[in-house]
Amino acid sequence: MGLACCAIEMMTVTSSEYDIARLGSEVFRSSPRQADLMIVSGRVAWKMAPVVKRLYDQMADPKWVISMGACASSGGIFDNYAIVQGIDTIVPVDVYVPGCPPTPDGLLYAVNLIQQQIREGGRGGILARS
Amino acid sequence: MPSTQTPPLAGTAIDPPSLRPPIDDAVIERVEPSALRERLSALKAEGYTMLLDLGAVDYPERTPRFDVVYHLLKMPARAASVSEVGKPARTRLLCAVDGANPRLPSVMDLWSSADWAEREVFDLFGIIFEGHRDLRRIQLPYDWEGHPLRKDYPTRGAARERSPRPAFANKMNVQAGTPPSGRTLEALQEQIKRAREADSK
Amino acid sequence: MSMSTQPLTPEIVSQEGNAMVLSMGPQHPSTHGVLQIMLEIEGESVVKAEPEIGYLHTGIEKTAESLFWSQAQTVIERMDYLAPSSNALCYALAVEKLLGVTDRIPERAQIVRVLLMELTRIASHCVWLGTHGIDLGAISVFFYCFDLRENVLDMQEATGGARMHPNYVRVGGLNGDLPDGYANRLDAFIEKFPGRMRELRGLLQANPIFQDRTIDVGILPIEEALKWNVTGPSLRGSGIAYDVRKAFPYCGYETYDFDVPTRTEGDAYARFLVRLDEMEQSHRIIRQARERLEKPGSVLLDDPKIVAPPKETIALSMEALIHHFKIVSEGFRVPPGDVYQSVESPRGELGYYIVSNGENRPYRVRTRPPSMYNLQALKGIAPGNLIADLVVMIGSLDPVFGEVDR
Repeated sequence: MGLACCAIEMMTVTSSEYDIARLGSEVFRSSPRQADLMIVSGRVAWKMAPVVKRLYDQMADPKWVISMGACASSGGIFDNYAIVQGIDTIVPVDVYVPGCPPTPDGLLYAVNLIQQQIREGGRGGILARS
Repeated sequence: MPSTQTPPLAGTAIDPPSLRPPIDDAVIERVEPSALRERLSALKAEGYTMLLDLGAVDYPERTPRFDVVYHLLKMPARAASVSEVGKPARTRLLCAVDGANPRLPSVMDLWSSADWAEREVFDLFGIIFEGHRDLRRIQLPYDWEGHPLRKDYPTRGAARERSPRPAFANKMNVQAGTPPSGRTLEALQEQIKRAREADSK
Repeated sequence: MSMSTQPLTPEIVSQEGNAMVLSMGPQHPSTHGVLQIMLEIEGESVVKAEPEIGYLHTGIEKTAESLFWSQAQTVIERMDYLAPSSNALCYALAVEKLLGVTDRIPERAQIVRVLLMELTRIASHCVWLGTHGIDLGAISVFFYCFDLRENVLDMQEATGGARMHPNYVRVGGLNGDLPDGYANRLDAFIEKFPGRMRELRGLLQANPIFQDRTIDVGILPIEEALKWNVTGPSLRGSGIAYDVRKAFPYCGYETYDFDVPTRTEGDAYARFLVRLDEMEQSHRIIRQARERLEKPGSVLLDDPKIVAPPKETIALSMEALIHHFKIVSEGFRVPPGDVYQSVESPRGELGYYIVSNGENRPYRVRTRPPSMYNLQALKGIAPGNLIADLVVMIGSLDPVFGEVDR
């Protein structure tokens, strides 16, 4: 879910310098019905919040969520009327990636943590510190 | 050159454009709401083909509360090279609108770009533009209550004022000239007085 | 019915014919951000397109009113997130005008500001070209463009500490001189750029599929462009050579030698060529700025009431300590007044109308967002085209939703 500045770093993760394809995650599906992982990258405004929730509901189980960036994790630098103060108030999050925006390395580490969670079976919010 | 340490105007922002000579290259003009459309049509006929921007400012301590600012640019319609464009003239038109019932005529028919700009001013300030074909909220959800960019709307939103941040973390507390911890001379004297009264009891 | 669904007004739903109302967005694969377009379509062709914005409304203008002048720059930089230095530069120039110190900004700071502005322009156009290519199916272009962008981001990280929002251009100059080794990186970039530019042109410019999809698509005639207040490469693709750097020069742009590419066709292909030519002109300016960087100098305004003195002097001088303390805890104050300052961002004329009432915080920061006005033109040029053409048109107008919604 590319919303704002973090979306550009998310696109950079697919580029040749960081290359998420070597982890097997290069395909960004347009449709939530076919996706396993939702990366919310960017600030979520109140107008966009129902859309995020609806997309999460439309995903088929099992599904995971990465909250990328400070704005998605906690509202970031925008402590005001317009921004949802953390998407964990609307969808359950598995990995939080701090940064404004996080470097693409951080997102790669987050995907690694998700893969670790899938292997080991744990769920719940983990902070990807890179 | 004005000093940066001149004391602030006691928090009043009467009419900043009139406080000093213009510092940018625009011709500044003030106009009444009743004469607004006429003046803008005249400017458009003079060659001001582009309405660069339409914004508003809220001065709650002043009687015509809002100022709606129109930025115009005199762009020639045929200007295929930089020398033909030259240095286009800029104009800034300020229109003071009453706070109790803010209404202004819409200029959508003169410049189509005013469409979304007027919707945004309505959304964030509550100024109604008469004659607009579709005046509804543009930036905020359709059922939002309140107009956020007014000065009496809290920055963190009405719902979150119930859980305020601690006073030291809120930069709004720091007025220019006041120590952030509140330890002014008056506060200290007040404290001494209270301590003496407590002692003498 | 969720909160954000557009209430179908009678204008949008037409009762006759085969028209269907389709909501394209706010989440769709065309990676331009959160835009919802309410389309009235007959088959594949668009009868009416009504973009709905506001899905990224961040309240930046309201937040800036509660932060100090130098802190407000952090939120303002996040508006146009593809070209952060242009937001920072426009804001810094506006505040410097209000302070009355525009003539006292050192020359080296102006040179580096021009350098950063042009580097940012190249980086932003790289993202535009990469995403435009992906929308049309040309995925290789994306990788070439983002690789070029990495060089610019490396340089931004060296100056400001962050890849995307370096916060390096400040009110009063810059945040410190350029680091060691920056000149080498810049030289390497200047060397690499022409070869990479040839490759990018070779990938798309003469490609018959690309030409089929962009020539004569999304034609923006001059009258429409002026009516919808379009600026930037979209206006220059239609025939008017308006560039703020030439018309209202700032930061010494009048001393640099560069052209303003203009085309007359007004279609998506013309805007594509204009932006590619602009990247080459930026390269030209960067080369000139690089030569001027040889001369050392200070990069900060010499006014202790506005710019904190260097940290080393705090141990030696009482006044330096006091100034530092006041600036950090209270911020500097800006004399009351209002100003409109504009710069040429990669999207068009970015302008700030800033009102100060004498305190240490901005009273009002109104942005003139080029992307919002460029995007409004979609209402005028979309009818009659196919939905696939709509994707091409949005890409060629290059909106950034951080700026549109603020």
